[in-house]
Amino acid sequence: MMEQTYPYKPQAGAVKLTMLLGGVVFLLMMVFGLALRATQGGLFEIDPAIFYQIMTAHGAGMVGSAALTGAAIMWYFVGRYVNLNAAIYWVFLGLFLIGVALILGSIFYGEFGGGWTFLFPLPAISGGAWDVEAAVAFCFGYLFIGVGFLLIYLDMGYRIAINYDGFLGGLGWRFAWSGNQELAPPPTIIAAASVIVFNSIGIVFGAMVLVASIINLLFPSFVVDPLMAKNAIYFFGHVFINATIYMAVVAVYEIIPEYTGKPWKTTRVFALAWVAIVIFVQAVYFHHLLQDAVMPDWALALGQIVSYASGIPLMAVTTFSLCVYVKGSGLKWDLTSSLLVLGVAGWTLGSIPATIDGMVAVNRLMHNTQWVPGHFHTYLLLGEVAMAFGFSAWLVRGKEQGIRSGLERFAFLSYALGGAGFVLVFLWSGASSIPRRWAIHLESWQFQDRIGTFFAAVAILGSLLIVSRYTLRLMRKGEE
Amino acid sequence: MQSTIFVITLVLMAVVGWLFWRAVSAVNGKPAGTNINKRRTQLIWGMVIAGVLISVGSMREWPYAGASEKPVVVNVVGGQWWWEIDKESLPLHTEIEFRVTSEDVNHGMGIFNEDLQLLAQVQGMPGYVNKLYYTFDKPGTYQVLCLEFCGVAHHDMINEFEVVAAE
Repeated sequence: MMEQTYPYKPQAGAVKLTMLLGGVVFLLMMVFGLALRATQGGLFEIDPAIFYQIMTAHGAGMVGSAALTGAAIMWYFVGRYVNLNAAIYWVFLGLFLIGVALILGSIFYGEFGGGWTFLFPLPAISGGAWDVEAAVAFCFGYLFIGVGFLLIYLDMGYRIAINYDGFLGGLGWRFAWSGNQELAPPPTIIAAASVIVFNSIGIVFGAMVLVASIINLLFPSFVVDPLMAKNAIYFFGHVFINATIYMAVVAVYEIIPEYTGKPWKTTRVFALAWVAIVIFVQAVYFHHLLQDAVMPDWALALGQIVSYASGIPLMAVTTFSLCVYVKGSGLKWDLTSSLLVLGVAGWTLGSIPATIDGMVAVNRLMHNTQWVPGHFHTYLLLGEVAMAFGFSAWLVRGKEQGIRSGLERFAFLSYALGGAGFVLVFLWSGASSIPRRWAIHLESWQFQDRIGTFFAAVAILGSLLIVSRYTLRLMRKGEE
Repeated sequence: MQSTIFVITLVLMAVVGWLFWRAVSAVNGKPAGTNINKRRTQLIWGMVIAGVLISVGSMREWPYAGASEKPVVVNVVGGQWWWEIDKESLPLHTEIEFRVTSEDVNHGMGIFNEDLQLLAQVQGMPGYVNKLYYTFDKPGTYQVLCLEFCGVAHHDMINEFEVVAAE
């Protein structure tokens, strides 16, 4: 295995704790998701109000955990190249936990069930299901988390700018323009700088609409244009959820070379791909608004075109490079390498139904059906979460790296096959016109729900084993 | 139509998944050759050309504009948790212009046939009127289901209308 030296030693303690928190919350949210699918399948009954509260917690919790683990991965590996401030990371973690407490309180004490997307003006108009205070607490929870992200981004961005001759240097744009290899930053730095740009912009838009929603909740005479709010929410939501994967993929850039013996190189194509990602990830959100016919035609067309274009840097650069690096490398399959490679596979394969859904002609038939959770679970459950699990396994690696025990093989297969079955049933259900986000399903839909529930349980079993293994090893290492 | 989309998606996922598997499972095989960058460039250009063809081909028919000069106008209002449709009976083989809005939060008007297959949809948004054009080619009872999460009784938001042969 390749041993490489780096200018700095990353600060592992805070990151290990973060991955533990993330893993436990992933598991809990998976159980919530299982309960939702089982309820839709008629396997047991939950009151619709509680169903939508659990749905809100599941959405916010999954997006939050994906963002938290993605940020931890990126912060850890950026820490190999620049000297990061651990105090700022702890403040980020503290703000995140305050945000989580507010969100959980708003849902399970305040009975807020407006969905993780808080689509204006639903938080203010609940039909008596929750009070204004609960919706305000939910929005403040998001704001705390957003402020935490902006803080660590500011710290990382500042350090990158100092170490790489300005922030443009860290982005790799000078290298992309000139092709001068001396100006090429490491892949991790390019990825981090790019995420800092687009996710900061996304969070600022999210904060704007959250503040507007809070003012509207407290002073209903303050009116927000619903179409403008929808644009801001989907811009923020799209950018934020995609940023989770773009942060987590840094684990692939940094860990896979230890297995292949070949460093992940910064080529001009790589740098140009990240330039494209910065633009595409922001311009593509219009594909969430294809059923809003009042949107300008150019925006709807752009939504479809950029949706397709976003797949090019993913497939032709990230996925293609991984295949090239792994092929003939002698890579040994253990839990880390299996999960990281699975993460790229899930991300790549999930982009196919997502891109198809981004087509104007298809979206009219698939939007807000179960096709949508079908594609986003593919690139999140089998993408971001797989990368986060792979990184966690690597964090607690022992001398046996490159070896996979029988139990680890079972855990991986259970997670991967259960996850694959789970997402395929969602896609099948979407093609069967079954709406998403319905608490009560018609009997004719429940056969598919039950198969989905079964696969969800299998995936959760695998996840439980992976998270338990991480926790036990973490405790054992703590004792040593 | 949905079945076709599903099959195409599965085929594409299977092909990409197989190519991916072929590469990553060959860890002990021959490393990638020296022409690999040329192949990547070919892949990028292939995806760009395919993208242009798909975009032009799929957007030539623009569904946001009606085809008829005098469509039958149907006004639809969504609210928590009901649909108000100002016509109960719509003509067959005639373009319908649904004008959809909401009096409270965002709703999604999904039109389903008797087999519960989704035919078309559009958002109902407060303060805005979204237009949806559709021509029914089969008589029968059609249901309107809400497709945008709108609160605690979202799943109860169902109404229906008839499509009958024009007299």
